[in-house]
Amino acid sequence: MNAAVRGAVAVPPVSKAVAAHAIAPRAGGRPWTFYVLSTVFVFYVLALYGPMICIYVLSFQDVRGGLVFPMRGLSLHWFVDLFTQVRTGDVKGSFERSIKLAAIVTVATVIMSFLAGWAFRRRFVGDGVVFYLMIGSLVAPGLVLSIGVGLVLHFIGVEGAWYTSAIGAQLSWTLPFGVLVMFAVMSRFDRAWEEAAYDLGATRWQTIRLVVIPILAPGLVAVALFGFTLSYDEFARTLQTAGSLNTLPLEIWTMTLNITSPSLYALGTVTTIISFVIIAICLGAIASIQKRRAVRVPAI
Amino acid sequence: MGGRGQILGWLYVSPLMLVLIPFFVAPILVVLAASFFQSDGFGGLIADPTLQNYADIFSSKLTLNLYTETIEFTILTWLFSLIIGFWVAYFLVFHIRNPLLAIGLFLLCTVPFWTSNIIRMISWIPLLGKEGLINTALLRVGVIHEPLEFLLFSGFSVVVAYVHQLTIFMVVPIFNAMARIDKRIVEAALDAGASRLDIMRMIILPLSKNGIALGSIFVVSIVMGDFFVIKVMSGGGSASVVGALYEDVGVLQYPSAAASAVVLTIVVTLLVALILRTVDIRKELTR
Amino acid sequence: MAVGAGSIELAGLVKSFDGFVNAVDGVNITIPDKAYCCLLGPSGCGKTTILRMIAGHDDPTAGEILIGGENVVGLAPVARRTAMMFQSYALFPHLNVRDNIAFSLRVRGMSKAARHKAADAMMEKVRLSEFADRLPAQLSGGQQQRVALARAAITEPRVLLLDEPLSALDEFLRIQMRQELRSMQRDLGITFVHVTHTQLEAIALADLVVVMEKGKIRQAGAAREVYASPKDRYVAEFLGGQNVLTGQVRTVNGHHAVVAAPTGTGITVPLTPGVRVDVGDPITIAVRRDDVEIVGPGHAPDAGEKTASVSSRVTAIEYQGYFVKVMLDAGNNADFVVYVSERKFFTNPVNVGDAVLATWPVDHARILAHDH
Repeated sequence: MNAAVRGAVAVPPVSKAVAAHAIAPRAGGRPWTFYVLSTVFVFYVLALYGPMICIYVLSFQDVRGGLVFPMRGLSLHWFVDLFTQVRTGDVKGSFERSIKLAAIVTVATVIMSFLAGWAFRRRFVGDGVVFYLMIGSLVAPGLVLSIGVGLVLHFIGVEGAWYTSAIGAQLSWTLPFGVLVMFAVMSRFDRAWEEAAYDLGATRWQTIRLVVIPILAPGLVAVALFGFTLSYDEFARTLQTAGSLNTLPLEIWTMTLNITSPSLYALGTVTTIISFVIIAICLGAIASIQKRRAVRVPAI
Repeated sequence: MGGRGQILGWLYVSPLMLVLIPFFVAPILVVLAASFFQSDGFGGLIADPTLQNYADIFSSKLTLNLYTETIEFTILTWLFSLIIGFWVAYFLVFHIRNPLLAIGLFLLCTVPFWTSNIIRMISWIPLLGKEGLINTALLRVGVIHEPLEFLLFSGFSVVVAYVHQLTIFMVVPIFNAMARIDKRIVEAALDAGASRLDIMRMIILPLSKNGIALGSIFVVSIVMGDFFVIKVMSGGGSASVVGALYEDVGVLQYPSAAASAVVLTIVVTLLVALILRTVDIRKELTR
Repeated sequence: MAVGAGSIELAGLVKSFDGFVNAVDGVNITIPDKAYCCLLGPSGCGKTTILRMIAGHDDPTAGEILIGGENVVGLAPVARRTAMMFQSYALFPHLNVRDNIAFSLRVRGMSKAARHKAADAMMEKVRLSEFADRLPAQLSGGQQQRVALARAAITEPRVLLLDEPLSALDEFLRIQMRQELRSMQRDLGITFVHVTHTQLEAIALADLVVVMEKGKIRQAGAAREVYASPKDRYVAEFLGGQNVLTGQVRTVNGHHAVVAAPTGTGITVPLTPGVRVDVGDPITIAVRRDDVEIVGPGHAPDAGEKTASVSSRVTAIEYQGYFVKVMLDAGNNADFVVYVSERKFFTNPVNVGDAVLATWPVDHARILAHDH
């Protein structure tokens, strides 16, 4: 039978060109492409962080400091300037507002994303509509939505404020991210855990409380991370919906339009430190949960 | 699927809808409505329907210029973010052997996304300016004799800022798509004698297509909808569609701004729909 | 007559997922209380669906399920006093062994001290006490299985349902864990229903083997009955161990029929009492693989022997340790396999390509129900 098969199909011999390009296993080193690509990667990371680091460095200049290098002096002058100088802006207030707003948006995002992700585990009538509305909200230009909300408020005759309309406007940005993360996390959630809990006598609520939420905890922390940072830095959608009091990004925007001193850099440093702290807390929490459960590669 | 399941599904998704409807659907509809109104010159709207706003837009040469410029930036940004993003993702997936290290490096790339994008944008100023770091370094080394003007407050700096901000939107979906490729397929191809080009062309690229499409949707919609990067980084030298919109709102010309917004939304929707024809987004995102 | 608390009766059980095909197609069976029952069949035969319906995780489209005499359709699993052990074990990854086992007590509102005490006692029973604080990811496959078992058993169910409990383990562990399951069942004194696709596992463990195909029960009975006396071709072939031949009846006389076999010579087979067979009828017969002897082609039967035989050629030989599997080509590509005990084989070995005669005592063959 083998002879018959061999006769039926004429396998062309491997040409020299193909053989030359075929990749042979090597003794253990790396191919040349590795070095090229890692150089590209290093440049990318440098370009990603480099400019930001320049700003942080420049914010530590003293009173003689300008907007560009070379660095003049070393002090906390501009940080002090930022918080104490009376100016047309209100850094301290906007900072507080941003934190509070971000906290509210984070909690709302986690709860709503969890519920929506839970709903989407099964098909229901109109689930396509909801899905595409969500994608639409993600992709729509922030300023357009902002203007739209402003007009809606205008028509209703209600004033916008950072603690009312801005929440909704920001949620329209954070929720799609949160729900998408929940999709990814829930698709890895084994239904057998739910069934086992049901089998052992747990009610629906007990199952959610004792099994689903703890297992999904890393995913929920990731959603919280998205919720907080996206809200804290959100700008376009908040522009027309925050009312008369600014959030921090709006404050930064005003300062950007007329940059006169490194105090803007100092503001950048401060706000980035906050962001880094939140990121570190969230990523750290996720890493420690995963480690405890001895998962080799994070499930998110 | 039972009726009870349907009701429950809607119950759980209702908070999401409670946000989406007033803060996405309603604003879009209101903007659409406002585009047919007239301005009373003081920021108010006269509910007297007219197509004048649209006529103004389509007859104005400014519109064409704005769209041309914005689309140019979109294409350039898309191109560069795609090239860089693709190779970064490829490097992380196929050249980093330790999965934990790959995730760590991946997170390293995403961390800046979680910081303020305005700050990230202006951080290019001390680098690109006439007295900036790059010019100073090049002058000192002797490569140039006069500071390069085009580095800052030009189209160049706009694209740099966009690419800096948006490459991550390419890296993430492409990384995701590539990570799903079963490495054993590549091994099987190597076994059969495929070259690097073959593997890239016949395996990697087709299987990353969805990730590229997803990333493109993000990049295109963000650049087309941007108004602040272009304003700051071009120093006022360039304008964008939404930038002009922003100016209109600044002088309380809501109807013309609304009409402009509607036209832009339609254009962006068409572009996104075009890209969506190459990928089943629902399957891709919910897998 | 009072039924045992853990006896299960399935009456007219039907399950259809899409309205077209019946995954379970009219199943009727009684599983006695305290029996070890194995549902055996290939993937898709409906065995897992039946298990899940007994457990209460799926509802039947039609039919009744009686446990301990009461109809449980519509009741939640916990109300049926059944417990299920899942194929993937489904151990909660965020809880340690003790909390996993104590979970069912926790949802009933038992205090922490009480449920930990109960969990500790159960861990003693399955020899897991030293792993009490470990998370599932830190356990081996066999240990995880014992946790799953303990977690289900602590609820003191009257029926324990196991969905392919040994499939995730490697061969060696599987054979070891078999006996653990058996002794656990005797120890707990409850009914076990165990789903598997591995024939040898089913006949090793079960008091009652239920062989299924495409949603229907083909044969149910003691292990020996199903293995040595299969009713039809499907059961004979699925359980292995039998050679199945089809042919046409040439003559019928008294207690025997002679069947025309592919190789020309007739095969004599004893008639099943009470079953009528006519000349010209198509017929299926089975003969055990270990009942067949291989002899040289010119072998003349002793006068007293009543043997039937098939002449054939050896196509392959597989060494299986204590027996040697000899595969023969008995005409028109029918599989004919002989299990020769190892020592016997090597006293008179045959080679691939040899022409041989496969013979067996006439009375050791059986007529199977003929499928159309």
